Amino acid sequence: MLKLLPRDTRDTLFILAVIGWIVLMQVPHLPWWTSTIAAGVLVWRAVLTWYQRPLPRWTWRVLLLALILGATWWTHRTLLGRDAGVTLIVALLALKTLELRARRDAFVVFFLGFFTLLTHFFYSQSLLTAAGILIALLGLLTALVNAHLPVGRPPLWQSARTAGGMALLGAPIMLVLFLLFPRMAPLWGMPNDAMTGRSGLSGEMRVGEVASLALNDDIAFRIRFDGRPPPQQALYFRGPVLSDFDGQRWRALRMPFPARTPAAADLQVSGPPVRYEVTLEHHQRPWLFVLEATPEAPPLEGDQARMLHSLQWVTERPIMERLRYRAESYPDFRHGPLQASFGLQAFVELPPGYNPRTLAWAQTLREQVGNGPDFSRRAVAAVMDHLRTGGYTYTLEPGVYGTHTADEFWFDRKAGFCEHIASSFVILMRALDIPARIVTGYQGGEINTVDGYFTVRQRDAHAWAEVWESGRGWVRVDPTSAVAPGRTGSFDRLLAPENAFTGALRNLNPTLAAQWRNMWEAVNNRWNQWVLNYTQGRQLDLLRQLGFKTPNWQDLVTVLAGLLVMVSLAGAGWQLWERQQHDPWLRLLRQLRQRLQRLGLETADHMPPRTIAQLVTRHFGDTDFSRSVTQWLMRLEALRYAPQSADSLGTLRQAYRQIVWPSRAPD
Amino acid sequence: MKLPRPAWRARLRAWFHERLPRTDTLTLTQRKVYILPTRAGGMLALTLVLLLIGSINYQLNLGYLLTFLLAGCAAVAMHVTHSNLRGLTLHLQPPAAVHAGQAALLDIRLTNDRRSPRPGIALGVSDDATRDHWAWIDVPSQGSAQLQVAWPTPARGWQPLPALTAITLFPLGTFRVWTVWRPASPVLVYPAPEAHPPPLPPGLPQPGQSGSTHAQPAGEFDGVRAYRRGDPLKAVVWKKAAQSFAAGRNDLVSRDAQTSQQHQLWLDSEQCGAAGLEARLSRLTAWVLLADRLGLDYGLRIPGREIPPGQGTPHRNRCLEALALC
Repeated sequence: MLKLLPRDTRDTLFILAVIGWIVLMQVPHLPWWTSTIAAGVLVWRAVLTWYQRPLPRWTWRVLLLALILGATWWTHRTLLGRDAGVTLIVALLALKTLELRARRDAFVVFFLGFFTLLTHFFYSQSLLTAAGILIALLGLLTALVNAHLPVGRPPLWQSARTAGGMALLGAPIMLVLFLLFPRMAPLWGMPNDAMTGRSGLSGEMRVGEVASLALNDDIAFRIRFDGRPPPQQALYFRGPVLSDFDGQRWRALRMPFPARTPAAADLQVSGPPVRYEVTLEHHQRPWLFVLEATPEAPPLEGDQARMLHSLQWVTERPIMERLRYRAESYPDFRHGPLQASFGLQAFVELPPGYNPRTLAWAQTLREQVGNGPDFSRRAVAAVMDHLRTGGYTYTLEPGVYGTHTADEFWFDRKAGFCEHIASSFVILMRALDIPARIVTGYQGGEINTVDGYFTVRQRDAHAWAEVWESGRGWVRVDPTSAVAPGRTGSFDRLLAPENAFTGALRNLNPTLAAQWRNMWEAVNNRWNQWVLNYTQGRQLDLLRQLGFKTPNWQDLVTVLAGLLVMVSLAGAGWQLWERQQHDPWLRLLRQLRQRLQRLGLETADHMPPRTIAQLVTRHFGDTDFSRSVTQWLMRLEALRYAPQSADSLGTLRQAYRQIVWPSRAPD
Repeated sequence: MKLPRPAWRARLRAWFHERLPRTDTLTLTQRKVYILPTRAGGMLALTLVLLLIGSINYQLNLGYLLTFLLAGCAAVAMHVTHSNLRGLTLHLQPPAAVHAGQAALLDIRLTNDRRSPRPGIALGVSDDATRDHWAWIDVPSQGSAQLQVAWPTPARGWQPLPALTAITLFPLGTFRVWTVWRPASPVLVYPAPEAHPPPLPPGLPQPGQSGSTHAQPAGEFDGVRAYRRGDPLKAVVWKKAAQSFAAGRNDLVSRDAQTSQQHQLWLDSEQCGAAGLEARLSRLTAWVLLADRLGLDYGLRIPGREIPPGQGTPHRNRCLEALALC
């Protein structure tokens, strides 16, 4: 079919297909109208090409351009910025095809296409995206090569082969530049919207919020432990601590009120530390996730981490790209004031008018437990016991909670997940006048058996409680573990909805599915570690391995320039070598001819060994010398032209050295 | 819209071309092949810079990969473009003579002895008038391709061929690689034949042969007789033959060769009736062609040269050459 089309039609259809592919990849991030217009224009153009009709008049293009600009303004309220820019560039790429006359406009489409390719990376830098982009890149290059084959009707695969060959040869250049091109900070301020739409823990908690995260299979961070990893139950990664409750919503304590300033963290650690490396995905928050408890700041490049009073580690700037750091944590730790102090007052406050039944139950509980020196501990034990035996269940679909969330949890629904349980627990503790607060973060993780990395996902987001006990400080209490022992410390997690392939695979062979998943994640992790997370730090590590003592970015430039000089010198050397005769057989023959010339026998370039042999016999007569030269020449001839030859170049060189040359030319 | 190029460029070009040795066979070595980026190459460079800025500003490592892969491809393409021309052998076959005003067709053979083909090579005359007229060709691997370049001849006589330019843009069009070649062979340009020449002059009686003249009266050129075996095809009167074929007969009629041999036809520049040397040469050229077409014996007399009557292609060419070099 394709072979029957005229060349221009075929070329245009091919370019349209490549553009279609580029736009198709972008569709999930485009407003509906952009996709519609782009598809419409491309199909229209294809139909015109197919029937070889003339292109529409310029009025159509102006009309469409006005429509696109108007719609972009209507959607984004601006023509600048990332999202509006992406919308515009995709629409313009499609529009440009309306004045595409195969070869001539290939360039404009080519360069516009490249910009569009780059915009894909705003949304995803996964392996699959990279594969899709590579296909599009090869498609564009193929179209361009094809445009520079003006004669006849060369098949497209020929252009594709040239393009593929160029890409293959260009790959080493890409690799060197990628490894050594100095990574620098953004040249100017980035638009605000650059980083929107990426999920993670938020700084506050409202019932129902962690639920959305619980279904989110995205990776929050990865960990590699030095040595044995701690047990799953001990993997509490601390995030924001929420202490301020307004009846609906938990927030972090507001610091501006000095009276409410809680006591300092006062962290004391003991026992052996756990050492590990975290690769944190960007989450647009200044939070570092480390195991409880980490006394020393994890070293970061270009940023400074500090610990809040709540034991949480934060950075100066939000984390906008994947970040890797090492940390040391002590599972044995104690923190918070040991004696009741004024700052603790903030942690027993409850908003009036909420959860009356819980408050009433607290009164009853207080009487049941009875006053005493370790009232807090006994109260916690009683409540945990109640949770364990009171028929409470763990569910990710507890339904919508109303105003009195704690009341509903304790008495009506008796079902919920970590945030309901932790929130209700802390409210009850505060009703008992025990200082308590909510800690959010991640708990657990999954070990990937392929590469030994622990993977912590968004669905591992967790909320637990901390209760202050006199003499012990803040003590972690995880009420969820009382309700659902499986929630903490188990590999069996609720899995996110699967796609058709993994679903089918799981039905067929569960272990294979798990293996496949592990493999895929290991590959992805390598991709993240080596491609996406290749920072200046890693570049400098590379230089260190190359022998630089204290590398800096100038050294990168030096190495790059050095490589460039070396490659140029190699190229020049190759040129020099190419200019000389480098067929060893011919070189050997020329060696002989030069020697003969010195003896007074001129031979021409085109003469084969046999002719030279005849000349030698004629010139020098039937002497030993001419016989040996003739014999050598015949062997040389056989080496190249006989079906089989006993000689090699080496033996011939040896034989050449054994020729006895006459001292001077015969008279 | 093409702007006329400034005069100094033409002078520079002429000076540069003068320095090139003339040769009919040219193997393009590293020293003879020149390379510069094209406008599209500049656009690609700009694209690369913009992609790099985008990658830096949005901290996209995959963007770096894309940028550098494209840069790598462009670098490889530069080399591919250069080697597409380097190593090629150009050979000019001796050009056939033409009449002034006609385009000389230069037959050029491009020989490629490497294992990969050399696609998209163009040849053209390197002067301003024809700078966008290229003849494109693909040279197969370890083979050769033949190409014709037309060159409008300026004047009669032996004309040196202009410098030829070979270019290639393959594969990406980002670099233009070219070479300039001055072929050694000149081309012989005959005078342009007059468009509507007067009829041939009457023949002069052949001296010393009047006795043997047959009964045919002088000047009767279109006497005919039945075709005899051995008559040249030129002598056949095809118009009459067509008539007889139409009537269902198979008779062929020949011109009576004797009529044309009784009188010698001399084409003389003094007696051709045109004013000025070029006009005379032009008329004589037209007459030579006409007489040759009619199969007549004719001689040529021009200042300083006389060619005795004769017939056939070599004779015609000798006459035309004499006219060209007059």
